[in-house]
Amino acid sequence: MTETGHATTHDAAHDLRVKAYFTVFIALSIFTAVSFIANEAVRQGWINLYTSVTIILAVAVVKAVLVGLIFMHLNFDWGRVYFIIVPIFILGVMMMMVLLPDIVIAWQPSQNPLEPPVSTTGTR
Amino acid sequence: MTQAVYDTPQEHMGMPLPTPKVAMWLFLVTEIMFFTALIGTYIVLRHGTPAQSPFKWPTPHQVHLIEWIGALNTFVLICSSFTVVLAHHAAVKADMKKATLYVALTLALGTVFLVIKAYEYNSKFEHDILPGHIGESRLPDPKLGEPTIALDTPRAIEREKHEHAVGMQYFHRVQLQLEAIKKSSLDAEIQKECNTLLDEMTAPTAAEGQAVVFHRPPSPAEVGTRVNEILEKAEAKGITLHLTPAIPFGNLWASCYFAMTGFHALHVFGGIVVFALILLMALIGRLGPQHATMLELIGLYWHFVDIVWIFLFPLLYLV
Repeated sequence: MTETGHATTHDAAHDLRVKAYFTVFIALSIFTAVSFIANEAVRQGWINLYTSVTIILAVAVVKAVLVGLIFMHLNFDWGRVYFIIVPIFILGVMMMMVLLPDIVIAWQPSQNPLEPPVSTTGTR
Repeated sequence: MTQAVYDTPQEHMGMPLPTPKVAMWLFLVTEIMFFTALIGTYIVLRHGTPAQSPFKWPTPHQVHLIEWIGALNTFVLICSSFTVVLAHHAAVKADMKKATLYVALTLALGTVFLVIKAYEYNSKFEHDILPGHIGESRLPDPKLGEPTIALDTPRAIEREKHEHAVGMQYFHRVQLQLEAIKKSSLDAEIQKECNTLLDEMTAPTAAEGQAVVFHRPPSPAEVGTRVNEILEKAEAKGITLHLTPAIPFGNLWASCYFAMTGFHALHVFGGIVVFALILLMALIGRLGPQHATMLELIGLYWHFVDIVWIFLFPLLYLV
């Protein structure tokens, strides 16, 4: 390839990157609006809470993936850094699982919270 | 012969990545664990609370969170992520003038984010929605009345003593606020309700020789219920009252909110300091194409800060 040809290919690749950045920026802005609208839709009674929560959290995950892949260049670097990132996600899920029994199961009342608690004398 | 030496990233055997980039990713994964702990704890605490009233987790409206302000801040951070990636791109193309401009824009957007956050924090301070300040101890249920607790173990008695102390702190805070309201001029109906509550809360006094009829003062829980009713009426009339609301789980919410958004804001501030230093380098003519890697690294950090907010926004403001 000639020097000029190489430069042209290089410039074209750069332009493509800028286009990709701009597309992601627009997508992120639209997704932010989607979460906001999904939240309003529950208030107006158009959709139920669970649908709204699913949409909002799914949108957040998609936004994070877009930022990671395109802005943080993981679409190029994933093969080089996955061994650092993957264990952290495993540890993160493990941490949530460790927190769950202590707090959720201990706090969740099995009856009306206003009723007097059952005596625990002799059990602790 | 002298040669210019640039800080060209070195690649090593077995690690097909520049060393600074590996270091930044290692730093970022520790940050991921840090925020996972905070966000995970918040999710677990929130889902550990009963779903039924009066012990429901506070809604954004109760704790004075405005959704569109959160959405605006999300948009501001997204814009800053876009400008920082363009700054790196311009530096790779050796266009340092553009790179400097984009860094300046990123710095400005980061500052806007912090200003909006400060405005929100100010609202929390104004409404006294702060950890340890909110009245929340067992608000009475309208149908069942005051809850009764069996004091049949030393632990139950200790818990009752502690809750009483917390409740009395809230009682005295509201009393001081009502005294301040009494001195101000407000809507007649709201003023009357505030004064009635204050009279009920304060012990009766009498001149010498006169008899005093003793009325049981309202409990902290009753004060909380009355304060909430007054605040609701005031809000309907568009009046802002400096009265601390009673919000079940409000203190837990405030602790989570300030921990998560506070640490995030500190990270934003850290990024702003680095951008200011880069601008300073540009100002004295020391910023060149050899610093493209540095811009990529600060970009990685900034995008991570953006991703954290992408999750904080729906968890705190929407869901």
